[in-house]
Amino acid sequence: MALVEVEHLSVDYRSRDLPPSHAVRDVSFSIAEGEFVGLLGESGCGKSTLGNALLHLLDRPAHHAGGSVRFDGQDLYALSERDVNRLRWREIATVFQSSMNALNPVLRVAKQFHDAMDAHGWREGVDGDRHARIREVLADVELDADRVMRSYPHELSGGMRQRVVLALALLLRPRFVLLDEPTTGLDVLVQRSIVELLRRIQREQGFTVLFISHDLGTVLEIADRVMVMYAGEVVESRPSAELATNPLHPYSHGLLGSFDDPRAEHVSVAYIAGRPPALTEPPPGCPFAPRCPSRLAACDDVVPTLDDAPEAAGPGPSLVRCHLFTDVGAAELGAGTVPETPRFAEVTAWSGAASSAEGREPLVVVEDLVKTYERRRGLRKERVEAVRGVSFTLVPGQVRALVGQSGSGKSTIAKILTRTERATSGTLRVDGVDPGSLRRAALREYRSRVQMVFQDPFAALNPTKTVGDSLGRPLRNYLGLTGDALWQRVLELLESVGLSPAATYVDKLPHQLSGGQRQRVVVARAMAPRPRLLVADEPISMLDVSIRAEILELLADTVREQDVTMLYITHDLLSARLLADDIMVMRSGEIVEQGPTAQVVREARHPYTRSLLDAIPRPARAGAVPAGPTATESTTPTGAPA
Amino acid sequence: MSAVTLDGPPAVTARRPRLLRTPRWFVILWRNKKARFGMVLLALFLLMAAFAPWLAPYDPRDGGFAPGLPPSAEHWFGTTGRGFDVASQAIWGARTSLLVGLVAGTISTLIALAIGMTAGYLGGFADEVLSFFTNLVLVVPTLPLMVTLAAYMPGGGGVWMVIVVIGITGWAGGARNKRAQILTLRNREYIQGARQAGDGIFRIIFREIAPNMTSLIVVGFIGAVGGAIGAEAGLAFIGIGDPETISWGTMLYWASQDGALLTGGFARLVVPGLLLALLTTALTFINFGVDALSNPHLREQ
Repeated sequence: MALVEVEHLSVDYRSRDLPPSHAVRDVSFSIAEGEFVGLLGESGCGKSTLGNALLHLLDRPAHHAGGSVRFDGQDLYALSERDVNRLRWREIATVFQSSMNALNPVLRVAKQFHDAMDAHGWREGVDGDRHARIREVLADVELDADRVMRSYPHELSGGMRQRVVLALALLLRPRFVLLDEPTTGLDVLVQRSIVELLRRIQREQGFTVLFISHDLGTVLEIADRVMVMYAGEVVESRPSAELATNPLHPYSHGLLGSFDDPRAEHVSVAYIAGRPPALTEPPPGCPFAPRCPSRLAACDDVVPTLDDAPEAAGPGPSLVRCHLFTDVGAAELGAGTVPETPRFAEVTAWSGAASSAEGREPLVVVEDLVKTYERRRGLRKERVEAVRGVSFTLVPGQVRALVGQSGSGKSTIAKILTRTERATSGTLRVDGVDPGSLRRAALREYRSRVQMVFQDPFAALNPTKTVGDSLGRPLRNYLGLTGDALWQRVLELLESVGLSPAATYVDKLPHQLSGGQRQRVVVARAMAPRPRLLVADEPISMLDVSIRAEILELLADTVREQDVTMLYITHDLLSARLLADDIMVMRSGEIVEQGPTAQVVREARHPYTRSLLDAIPRPARAGAVPAGPTATESTTPTGAPA
Repeated sequence: MSAVTLDGPPAVTARRPRLLRTPRWFVILWRNKKARFGMVLLALFLLMAAFAPWLAPYDPRDGGFAPGLPPSAEHWFGTTGRGFDVASQAIWGARTSLLVGLVAGTISTLIALAIGMTAGYLGGFADEVLSFFTNLVLVVPTLPLMVTLAAYMPGGGGVWMVIVVIGITGWAGGARNKRAQILTLRNREYIQGARQAGDGIFRIIFREIAPNMTSLIVVGFIGAVGGAIGAEAGLAFIGIGDPETISWGTMLYWASQDGALLTGGFARLVVPGLLLALLTTALTFINFGVDALSNPHLREQ
């Protein structure tokens, strides 16, 4: 019998003003004891809601709208709150998104472990010695138990705190662990190490895991089986090796297409145009149909069901929700026809194409740039060297990527270039001037020539201002436009970043737009004063995987059409490979490797560059990972009857 | 305001012309039971002040009645020791309290905004100076300061003098709150974006940041109004200002002067006291609702 059985589970978000939104719709699946299952989906697909529903943790305005969740045979929604509480932590543990911030800042780590044991009835002697257990579990997550137990949370790094939280979840030897985006928000290299650690412990100890993530590469590498969710439904459930090599659902195809190996000779990445449907009124047909390149006539008005995949898909238990593989599709395609591979819009690496930058005077010259921060710690002054003697030039029309993990000093360089901060020493000339020396009018004029694209499109637009207002400000301030001319230019800008028809977007507030649309507005605002230098600080890292390439394409087109210089700051070598002519790799305030993109990525010399390359998840690697020793039981997910 | 952090679908907006729609903030306030109670109560006070000439049975300055009458059909709450009708004075007194509360509350909120927000946004030396000044005002005991100011104020003791005194002594706490709030908002990326877009300091402070702290400003304002109403009553009660003004504070002053408690004129104490308490309660209850505006979790579903 499966450990977790979910049948026809539905969750609605209800509020008084809006029609209810069906976030999770009739989802059924089961997880066998010892299985490691990934739940993959983009923001808004209902995966976190499903996770909360599994734990019986739905909070207003979410409501359990039907179906059951059985854990080891007991229906959680039939048990009393007290009985569910008895199961939590002891049997069912969880690590939530950004839960490294969930540690109590005023208690030592050891105390928090003791509290969890007390609250959930650790029986001394029966369950073992508590001190020994804490030591054991901390050692499992590769932490120095003596040091960590005496520490306060703020004395530990983000990665260490995340390990502590994981150790807390595993403390009482739960049989089922739900991990909701456990590595999101951590540095790439740390993320990688935690994922590997997790997989190793799971194999050794054999607990059951549901791993919720938007990060396809990680999920495919770590999980035995992956369920792909779209618009509140599971659309495909496959052993991960099979999903990685031969996805069936067009949506899975699209997601996989957003990865490629940056070391390959030809790199291209796909994106899925459009956005998921609103779930207030479930569409009459397949919810993915409007974005699907393989759409059939039936997709618009017949809802597909989650059925067994054709045998050709592979030996493992496979389910897919798509008309291409049903009788409906067969009738339309002609029996026995193998559906063609869906073709999504693609972005191909620019690198390698002849650069227009050859032989032009550099726009930005940086020589031996140093930035030191001074912090007062009690009576002592502490110096932090964020940037230590960096030199480079930027030529007009060139895109140069600055790559490094968090804390490497790359954002400090962005701040100095945009004159949010001043350099401590070194020479800096941007378009003939030293930004550090500028005041008032000259500074204002400088800002019109150097613009910035921010990381978080949710924070970069004022929530109280309409799109038109936000775009109008730089036009009014720098170009002196007013009235109809201003309006006209705002509409042109919106069209130029692909928000068309522009008139429908000008009056929208940021919260009415999707992440991708907001980032387009941010790009439009940066381009409004016709800048000469564009600094883009991680512009795609907060966006869904399926639309990242779309924004990269927009940035590439913008730069090349308008002859702007761009400094593209990122931790992700794949996107750097797609966009940049040259790459600089930065570590601890110094540039450790630089050169033409293809050369740096394909023949990386510095070990740090190589470790960054290794941190890029490669779905294809999923096939290489053998199944865990404890996941022996055959896992048959239950199909959702129509 | 409707930032949904959960994996929720995008909000659907109602399709009614903008002007005909009930404003969103009002709907949220009205749904909150406490805020609704407060708003109804405040509306009653506003009506009482606006229609005082029609509601009051007598002229509040008509001292021609027998002094110290007990409550009766002619005089609902009796008469004062000097022969005025208590009910009429209480109704007219609402005007003074509301006037002082709203105007003095506005003055102190404006000062708090200007000083707190400038200090918080600019930081550095300007912040040091402005914060020092704010702290200075905070530590000076308010009541003696008000008494001293009132004593030396030109224009001799009218309502407007009281308003100015309360306005310029009551802003310091609010300024501190606003400074703290702006410290968390000033580093948001959209503020940096506004700077990149060439906006000036004051535009950023008052047009980019301020709308994002509307509910905090409103909470501060309502609190300041309540404080000003209390301060006016307190000043009047200890005899600062013009004792011939008709307000709940002067009613209490005269009741105490006449020894109302000893002569059994309880109504003269209870009526203005209770009205003061009810008015400040109304304001406090509205503030519960304003909290819900900024924090969706406090909204009643």
